[in-house]
Amino acid sequence: MLGPRLYSPFDETMWKSIAEGGMRIQRCDECSTYRYPPGACCPNCLSIDFGWEPISGNAKVLSWITYHKQYLPAYPAPTTIVAAMLDEGEILITNIDASETDKLSVDCAVRVVYGDHPDGYKIPRFTLATQTS
Amino acid sequence: MNAPQTKIEATSDRSLDNISAVVGIGHSDWRADYAAVRGGGKPTDSYGYGAVSLKRALADAGIDKSEIDGLIVGSPTSYERASELYGLAPRWGMQADSSQAIVAAMMAVKSGLCEVVALVYGNDQQSAKVQYGGPQAMGGGSNLSYVYHAPFGLTSQGALYALMQRRHMELTGATESDLGQVSVGQRAWASHNPAAIMKDRPLSLESYLSSRYIAEPLHLSDYCLINDGGVALIIMEKSRAKRQGRKPVTIKTAARYDLHGGSTTLRPRLMDFYHTGHTVVSQQIYNAVGLGPKDMDALLVYDSFSCHIPFALEGFGFCGIGESGAFMRETGIGPGGKLPINTHGGHLSESYMQGWAHQIEAVRQLRGEAGLNVPDCRNIQYISDVVGRVYSIIYGVE
Repeated sequence: MLGPRLYSPFDETMWKSIAEGGMRIQRCDECSTYRYPPGACCPNCLSIDFGWEPISGNAKVLSWITYHKQYLPAYPAPTTIVAAMLDEGEILITNIDASETDKLSVDCAVRVVYGDHPDGYKIPRFTLATQTS
Repeated sequence: MNAPQTKIEATSDRSLDNISAVVGIGHSDWRADYAAVRGGGKPTDSYGYGAVSLKRALADAGIDKSEIDGLIVGSPTSYERASELYGLAPRWGMQADSSQAIVAAMMAVKSGLCEVVALVYGNDQQSAKVQYGGPQAMGGGSNLSYVYHAPFGLTSQGALYALMQRRHMELTGATESDLGQVSVGQRAWASHNPAAIMKDRPLSLESYLSSRYIAEPLHLSDYCLINDGGVALIIMEKSRAKRQGRKPVTIKTAARYDLHGGSTTLRPRLMDFYHTGHTVVSQQIYNAVGLGPKDMDALLVYDSFSCHIPFALEGFGFCGIGESGAFMRETGIGPGGKLPINTHGGHLSESYMQGWAHQIEAVRQLRGEAGLNVPDCRNIQYISDVVGRVYSIIYGVE
């Protein structure tokens, strides 16, 4: 089983939270600024002290694309990718079921769900949020 | 986070403006090498493409290699190994991307660190099968956005631009036909350029629109070529260049502003289209030369993907936000147009030399030696905003 590639000593905790079905991202202890992807310090105040906070999972769509060519073994075409602004003010970019592509628009609501990557780990994905709250 | 800082005023004694000139240019045989590599060959490596280009730039400048006392190499090659292979003993040198190389040469000449700078780029990306997307994508060491999102399904630099393009279309009402003018216009320029790889491959808007998507909304023709090759320039102080015998092309001014806040998750791309940087840089360069967008006889834009052009036109004030489609249609950006853009064919249709070939096209146009010359060309602006480093350079002749 291959895990996702880790780019910093802080990535592992995030991936563990994803595996548990509740993605957490870092939040600065000093100034409360969220940051994603994981990293050593707060881009706002440079503090290296932080906690891990669960995301609400609610986001608004900024943009999307559909691959008509396969680049990654885990993602045959067509694959649709969405960039969306989380409630926490950080942008998350991940895939959405291709059948939902035609319903996407800027600012439409999506929420994070958890799916399986073929390499044997969990990933956050988007799905269109239902209109009812 | 990315608010423009106070306007930067160049002072007379510290300014780099109008000090340096390009006196020699050269490049490798892009078309022949492209065909050779497609046929399974490998004409040479990155250093070799640089050597071919340097030899031609020296001949063009009419100077001997022994006069070179500064060397700037492109990112695919080592500065030290290039100095060794090219038989140079520089007093000063470094490795840089194309925009930074020009600025660094200006700084070195102005400061007296060296007097005659060779800028040498060679890249064997096609024959070496460099990957710009997928499991082996390059560039992640410098730009995490190139690799970070792969587990989630996002990879390839084209996809990052496709996300910008989709949002631009949604926010402004721009269409695929609007964007298609870029690829069609540049292909028309390439048809006049004997060095352009796509010289004999005409492209109509209809065939653009019916070509396959790679990362929708971008079509195949929105993507740059991948080819082997090299480019070289010789830069020296303008006063010395005038004694050299050839008409020197002056580097009138240059400016830079970086946007890296939130760059891994594409914040400066999606929330700003890099316009904050465009605004600051445009103010600085246009103030420096006392000219504006309307005074540019041609525009050269770093075009790894076609959508760089509408974003640059809107960001640098050639037209209003969301107006680039109509602007390109009404003004004309191809041969005969009022604002010629990427007159060599650019990365899309001439050769993908990561901005380096744009610099020598500026020189060719201003000398009147281009494949198709822009009439009475006196000022050319170059714009690049690769991964948030916004640069602009204005070249001119007196």
